[in-house]
Amino acid sequence: MRRYIFRQLAQLVVVIFGISILAFGILHVIGDPVLLLLPQNAGPEEFERYRRLLGLDQPLWAQYWRFASHAIQGDFGKSWYADVPAFGLVLDRMPPTIYLTLAGLVVALLIALPLGILAALKRHSFMDNVCTMLAVAGQAMPIFWLGIMLIIVFAVRLRLLPASGYGTWQHFLMPAFTLGAFLAPITMRLVRSGVIEVMNMEYIKTARAKGLAEPRVVAKHAFRNACIPVVTVLGLQFGQLLGGAIVTETVFAWPGVATLTVESIRNQDFPVVQCAVVLLALIIVIVNLLVDLVVGFIDPRIRVGA
Amino acid sequence: MHRFLPAVAVLAVLLLLPVVVAAQTREDTVVYAIQGDLPNWDPPNSVLRESIILGYHVFDHLASRDLKTGKVSPSLATSWRPLDDTTWEVKLRQGVRFHDGSPFSARDVKATFDRVLDEKNKLTARGNHLKIKSVEVLDDHTVRFKTDGPYPLFVERLTAQVIQSEKVIRDKGHEWMQRNPVGTGPYKLVRWTEKQEHLLVRNDDYWGPKPAFKYARVRIIPETATQIAELISGGVDVIKAVPPDQMDVIDKSGIARTASSPILRTAMLQLDQAARSGPNPFTDRRVRQAANLATDMDAVIKHVLNGLGDRTATTVNPMAFGFDASIKPYKQDIDRAKKLLAEAGYPNGIDVNFLTMPPIVEPGLRQTTEAIVADLAKAGIRTKQRYIGEIGPYVTQVKEGKAGPMFEWSWGYYSVFDADAILYDVMKCNEAYSYYCNKELDDLIQAGRSTLDPKKRTEIYAKAQRLIFDDAAYIYKWGLRGVWGISNRVDYEAPRDEIDRMFVVKPRK
Repeated sequence: MRRYIFRQLAQLVVVIFGISILAFGILHVIGDPVLLLLPQNAGPEEFERYRRLLGLDQPLWAQYWRFASHAIQGDFGKSWYADVPAFGLVLDRMPPTIYLTLAGLVVALLIALPLGILAALKRHSFMDNVCTMLAVAGQAMPIFWLGIMLIIVFAVRLRLLPASGYGTWQHFLMPAFTLGAFLAPITMRLVRSGVIEVMNMEYIKTARAKGLAEPRVVAKHAFRNACIPVVTVLGLQFGQLLGGAIVTETVFAWPGVATLTVESIRNQDFPVVQCAVVLLALIIVIVNLLVDLVVGFIDPRIRVGA
Repeated sequence: MHRFLPAVAVLAVLLLLPVVVAAQTREDTVVYAIQGDLPNWDPPNSVLRESIILGYHVFDHLASRDLKTGKVSPSLATSWRPLDDTTWEVKLRQGVRFHDGSPFSARDVKATFDRVLDEKNKLTARGNHLKIKSVEVLDDHTVRFKTDGPYPLFVERLTAQVIQSEKVIRDKGHEWMQRNPVGTGPYKLVRWTEKQEHLLVRNDDYWGPKPAFKYARVRIIPETATQIAELISGGVDVIKAVPPDQMDVIDKSGIARTASSPILRTAMLQLDQAARSGPNPFTDRRVRQAANLATDMDAVIKHVLNGLGDRTATTVNPMAFGFDASIKPYKQDIDRAKKLLAEAGYPNGIDVNFLTMPPIVEPGLRQTTEAIVADLAKAGIRTKQRYIGEIGPYVTQVKEGKAGPMFEWSWGYYSVFDADAILYDVMKCNEAYSYYCNKELDDLIQAGRSTLDPKKRTEIYAKAQRLIFDDAAYIYKWGLRGVWGISNRVDYEAPRDEIDRMFVVKPRK
């Protein structure tokens, strides 16, 4: 087990290194940040002065080395716009995004688990078809569109919820549902196929033969085993979920790290973008590591195998 | 005692804050939405328009634009006059106080400009004031500005420079000023919740007309559709930059309405007369004239933009100083366009590359472009479009001379209402954003910059406009209009300088 974790950690370093090079490279391809940083009428000397000030006059490898050697110590430089450390700026915006992602995850599970199990148990029934249709509809709906539709219905027409913003539990409902609806279909399909597969196993027959009540068979024996692929895929989907959070945050004016990142890309605020990308990548990698551990916990075979 | 001061201050703020916030109701609050948050509360340290707009609420400027007449009028300055070609004397308002209670005087003006002009401070606003050499305090309420050569834009530029307090600059310093604005303006900052909102409270000691609403909330809502939803569900009172196709949604809501105003931005299709990106047919004046004659801009404005544009004969905006209304725009004449092309050696027409951009600053750009391209084709100017979807890389291409023979462009004059602000940057030889080069025009631009006499300058710019019209430097389009969404619970007029002022919003009776 320890060797496994060690290998994962080594991979983590490689992934983060790769991501940081990618982020760095892409940013430098998009264009000259000084162009956006100064008034249009600033004049060539002023532009040159700024370029020197930000170190943009140095060769790319030197710029990357300076960035990487500082970043390892947690120093991502100062935001060129806000003039405060990028690390603090990104960290400040992290909690709203994490809350939103978790809330989305909870909503997705609340929808996917019952419907998925129901669809599996009543395979090829009317209920199963309805669930499949819901899943297809959910998957086909762009997050952006769903978010705006919810706003139009619940904020503009019914006046039940605030259209956007952050702070109270009412503010959570629409964004969490939007993000949850994005993740629910794939999760539901997985739960369904997982449960169907498990229900044909010998140990389910054994459980039934022991005379266990059907709900207990499903809850105790089938569900736990069906969870394994679901948890794995949820881990892999976590990156997607963060991607969905970017759109959701923008629609609902949610003050998270995703809006900050998009805004910083627009402004070409390199330090903030680099810091955000590296931290988000770190989170995704860590979540996947955790998922592996959790799966090991659920499924003892994996622990033994490693 | 000193040891306890911070603790006492914190306690006082903690005790006061809930009171202030609790007292705030929807009735005495006007809510304004912006797309992105400010990087800081130090306007000279930001290039964003939002910083200018919020700066107007908490700070004052020496001069500001009268929205009725469009002229620059007194604010913290009561009058100004040039003593000679390079000296301006400015008289200051008396009895004005900063939000911290200290009186406003000439020393604050000097400290403000000294701070901005000092290279060490890295303030982005420095580029706006490079022509100012020094500021001299004559007495408590008189300052003298020395400029590097004649500087006719001096007064215009005063409208974009907030006046900060000398005491704050000296005692509190740069870091502190990034989050704590101490101005003389109509509102004071109560609380800034980053990426969410700014809460402002009325400055009851304001020297000018006091705001009707006790509170102004400025909410950050990145998505336009969400802004509109907030407006028509009553959560927000004023939004800007409404897309033309969404105007109906607002107007039919019964909750809010739209208002449009001409804004200081002219749209054009730049032609590479200067051959910056290589030889091309537009180096020939006849081809450029043909391009202008091929298009029916009036029809595009009327039918595609629903009237949201003001036709211009050249690049000079009707609101800019020096605009000459006597020059009439090109009228569509396909036959003449074809004839001119043939004379230039292209009887079968031409094929040119055309660089296009997303409709970020120009509403309805996709649709208007299609209409214009169709017109051009009728005369034999066949275009091959190349699209760049992000504004940053687009501007870089233009700046580096790689935009090709024809590309979409618009110019916002960096909010200086003067012909010079477009002619210099977009039409002078060798300027980064200019694909036109004409020695005769350069001389006129230089002449316009070297005198402070408004009459002489008007004549110079009239000549310049005649020249670029006859020479058909670019394909001239129109002056843009901005669209605002305004709640029916308030009275507010769309501002022509695009600087929204919540302190003039009034509740509707």
